[in-house]
Amino acid sequence: MRFIVRMALREIRASWQRLVFFFVCIAIGVAAIVALRSVIQSVRVALSGEARALLSADLVISGNDPFNRTVRETIAREARAGRVTAESEAKELPTMVRPADPAIVASRIVELRAVQSSFPMYGTLRLQGGHTYSHDFLRGHGALVRPELLAQFGLGVGDRIIIGTQRFQVRGVIESEPGRRLGAFSVGPRVLIDYADLESTDLLTFGSRVNHQLLLKVPDAALAALTMDLRQAFANEFVFVRSYRRNEDRMSQDFERAENYLSLVGLVVVILGGIGVSSVARVFVQQKIRSIAVLKCVGGTSHQILAVYLVQVLLLGLAGSLLGVVLAALVVAAVPSFVPNSVNMLQIDYGLTRTAVAQGLLVGLLVSLLFSLVPLLEVRHVKPSLLLRQDIPPAQRVDWVKWAATALVAGALVAVAAWQAGSLRVGLMLSGGFVCTAVLLYVAGLVLVRAVQPLRYARSFALRQAVLHVARPGNQTRVILLAVGLGAFFIIGVRALQANLLKDFAIQLGENSPDMFLMDVQPDQRQALSAFIDDHNGPNGPPRMIPVLRARVVGVRGRDVSLDRYEDVRGRGSLSREYTITYRPALEANEQVIAGQWWDSSTSGGAEVSIEESLRDHFQIQVGDQMRFDVLGRTITATVTSVRRVEWRDFRAGGFMFVFRPGTFDNAPHTFVSTLQAPLDPAARARLQGALVRAFPNVSVIDLRELLDTIRRVLNNVTLGVTVVGALVLLSGALILVGAVSMTKFRRVYEAAILKTLGASTRLIATMLLLEYGVLGAIAGTIGSAGAMVLSWAVATYALDMPWTSAPLLSVMGIVLTALFVAAVGVAASLDVLRHKPLATLRAE
Amino acid sequence: MIELRGVSKTVMSGGRPLTILHPLDLSIPSGQFLAVVGPSGSGKSTLLGLVAGLDSPTTGTILIDGTDITTLGEDQLARLRGEKIGFVFQFFHLVPSLTAFENISIPMEIAGRRDAAPRARRLLDEVGLADRGHHYPSQLSGGEQQRVALARALANDPVIVLADEPTGNLDSTTGRHIMDLLLGIQRARRSTLLLVTHDADLAALADVRLALRDGRPVGPRAVPVATSVEGSVSSGVEGPAR
Repeated sequence: MRFIVRMALREIRASWQRLVFFFVCIAIGVAAIVALRSVIQSVRVALSGEARALLSADLVISGNDPFNRTVRETIAREARAGRVTAESEAKELPTMVRPADPAIVASRIVELRAVQSSFPMYGTLRLQGGHTYSHDFLRGHGALVRPELLAQFGLGVGDRIIIGTQRFQVRGVIESEPGRRLGAFSVGPRVLIDYADLESTDLLTFGSRVNHQLLLKVPDAALAALTMDLRQAFANEFVFVRSYRRNEDRMSQDFERAENYLSLVGLVVVILGGIGVSSVARVFVQQKIRSIAVLKCVGGTSHQILAVYLVQVLLLGLAGSLLGVVLAALVVAAVPSFVPNSVNMLQIDYGLTRTAVAQGLLVGLLVSLLFSLVPLLEVRHVKPSLLLRQDIPPAQRVDWVKWAATALVAGALVAVAAWQAGSLRVGLMLSGGFVCTAVLLYVAGLVLVRAVQPLRYARSFALRQAVLHVARPGNQTRVILLAVGLGAFFIIGVRALQANLLKDFAIQLGENSPDMFLMDVQPDQRQALSAFIDDHNGPNGPPRMIPVLRARVVGVRGRDVSLDRYEDVRGRGSLSREYTITYRPALEANEQVIAGQWWDSSTSGGAEVSIEESLRDHFQIQVGDQMRFDVLGRTITATVTSVRRVEWRDFRAGGFMFVFRPGTFDNAPHTFVSTLQAPLDPAARARLQGALVRAFPNVSVIDLRELLDTIRRVLNNVTLGVTVVGALVLLSGALILVGAVSMTKFRRVYEAAILKTLGASTRLIATMLLLEYGVLGAIAGTIGSAGAMVLSWAVATYALDMPWTSAPLLSVMGIVLTALFVAAVGVAASLDVLRHKPLATLRAE
Repeated sequence: MIELRGVSKTVMSGGRPLTILHPLDLSIPSGQFLAVVGPSGSGKSTLLGLVAGLDSPTTGTILIDGTDITTLGEDQLARLRGEKIGFVFQFFHLVPSLTAFENISIPMEIAGRRDAAPRARRLLDEVGLADRGHHYPSQLSGGEQQRVALARALANDPVIVLADEPTGNLDSTTGRHIMDLLLGIQRARRSTLLLVTHDADLAALADVRLALRDGRPVGPRAVPVATSVEGSVSSGVEGPAR
């Protein structure tokens, strides 16, 4: 054993410079795994301790309608029984807010929350400036707001804002708020007011989208049973019961899943490093053949020598993994300064976690070992007799040990991937995906390398030599193509997709289409609003008014499905949610009937409804089925008379899952959604929006252009994220390239010496190198580009269901930039080849 | 004692079998110096490789101290070499990534000897390279490299030393030094020495000479077999010219 360790250390001393690049690849992957896992685990630890604070209660009952008698009586009964020890009510709704100062032309949709004095039951509401929250901040028309709202309005603490029809004074700035879910979607910044003041805003008009919440404090021992009992008791009520424990469990699951999936990014990079390790191990054994023969000649057994090289790989793998942990520590230490204040509402202690470090180290070591095992097995076949004779024919026998080792390694890699993903299926998919990608890139590389072969007859000597070198055996072309091609594929792919998405959205928001939605327009405001827009919106035409109501499906009696009670509908998941419905005589431009028949203009006796095709597909609701709806407490039974396909991307006309035949809701109270084309000039838009909110305080304005900006921002962030992954992969590719160059440098130095002796100038040799790596980069870029186009096409066509346009400029840029990148890295790594004096090289040989 | 019984070697060359060593019987008693001479391709190195267990014969058996090495596996052969055989090559074959000192230490470390370091230093001293132990092969001259190789061959006190044209890649003065060193050590340790050489002068120093041509022993008995030679010798084996 002493010999093995000593020999391994001596070998590292001699060859670490040539091997270091591959283990930097491992380091990057390990760093990604450790950093991602550590950050997510830190957040998870911080959040799991705050699950109750996040809900700001033990149990929350919520619904979109005011709580009915059943709910209230049940809770009162439970309070008497001692299972509910305290309760607090809150209401939440999206609404418009504007500064009270008419000189400031601005308005903004916000998430308004009205709370009672017992809020928050758990957790702390932190205010800027170190103030301690008390309900006194809100009493008597006080408001607490998020800093971004003040920034937008240019207001400060003490200034006044108008919510609905009521003035409120800003009394503090919210830093963090319990009950606000981290990263949850919100339509706007939070504004907190007193529950008692909500009525005075006149926002609780008919149709406003209020979420009613009942926050309960429950003894720990009773929580599980009470949650179950209340769910059962309210099975047929339109309310949801959530306990903080369930939140905690779900959060825990979500985080675990996020952690596992994100760390796969690191695993992909580690595996690329592993491919580099495998390729270097193969070249390494070839170069060490004579030394291995010598060791065998002086008494070393195959097992001892194999052990020497495995220990060497393990030591280097360990060094790479430790380097990865150091890199991860640096990244994690830098996280707090990158996380925006709005996200970092919780006190999170970012730091490396023990499990993340252990996993990273283990993955780094395993991948190094697994990927080097098969090539190192060649050590067994080195015959010591080659020290006497060079012409020993290789053994033709099937090497079962090697095949068994290959199978073992493949199995182990699937296991590592499954372990990292926390799912065997994902592990298998990732491994399978990797194998398929590798095979595809390999075949593509083979085809392209062949395709450039005619250039070996080119007139330029440098180009001829470059093409010959790309195809020469042992040139690591395949590995470089795999790594660089994959990196290019990621980067170009996500950019192509982004370009397609943005283009599609931009088309939707053309010059002449509606780009502003007005929500919650009351029936008595229709005329006034139309007239107002006519006055204020110049020549852009009158707004469209779409009647809307909110409804729940409470039963289905049909051919394939029968749901008698709301409780049964609840069992069907999303079918039980509240839907926004409408009625109209004709189809919209973005709709087509695919089953049944659209109604004619005559009025009929019974209610008729047209459903969107996904309802048929997911819930097996068919034409002819009877559906029961609860609309404002009234149950309406309607016959499904048609199934529609909706072009959802064309959101100008809106999209509705349920459209009713006119007549059913003629006398029912409902609100209107209006669409209009606002001026393109941002200042004019802001003026119109401000004027609208002043005149109609209850109407919420949703600006599609602002939404598009948000989408663009989100897309940019996603693109940036994927680009970082692609850049990591590309960096691995560059490192593998540098490593491959340094592994085969001795051969190049020798060739360059011969060429120089035969009259080649340094410039000619530099040109040869430049062209060789340029050709290699162009091939890798072509592979990545072609793959990216296929990916963006597949995602656009099948996942996003939108038209795909090729991005030829992006492809060409991708190929050119990859070629330049590889050429630059390759030549920079080969500068030694140019510097060596020919005589010294030839003498050494 | 080395015994070869009907040992031959046939390889495939251009798809056809080619016998590079025809059946040969040979006994080399312990402590004897046998020189194997012959032109290139005559089977000299093949014979040496077979005796060292670096290659296996097509026919016949090879006994080293009574053990039939043709029945041993690769790893058993490696252990046997580590224990009983020292090898000196024409092209030195030092491990380039190790220093002179480390090259000498390897056989002892493989054998698990605890005195590897002091003994390697002694051997370096013995071959006159006491102050060059930390040098890598590329930093040594050919003669120095061969001296390191010689020290390495003697590291485990082998009873058999096999030398494949050890002076073939050196100038004559350095070659002579190496040979003096090799023979001095062989005599001092009473080890068996098999020397493959082109050099008639070197061969003349041997107790016994075996001439090979086209894989067969050849030549008249120019010199009578030395009295120290025991056992049978096949035709073509000559006694010492001393």
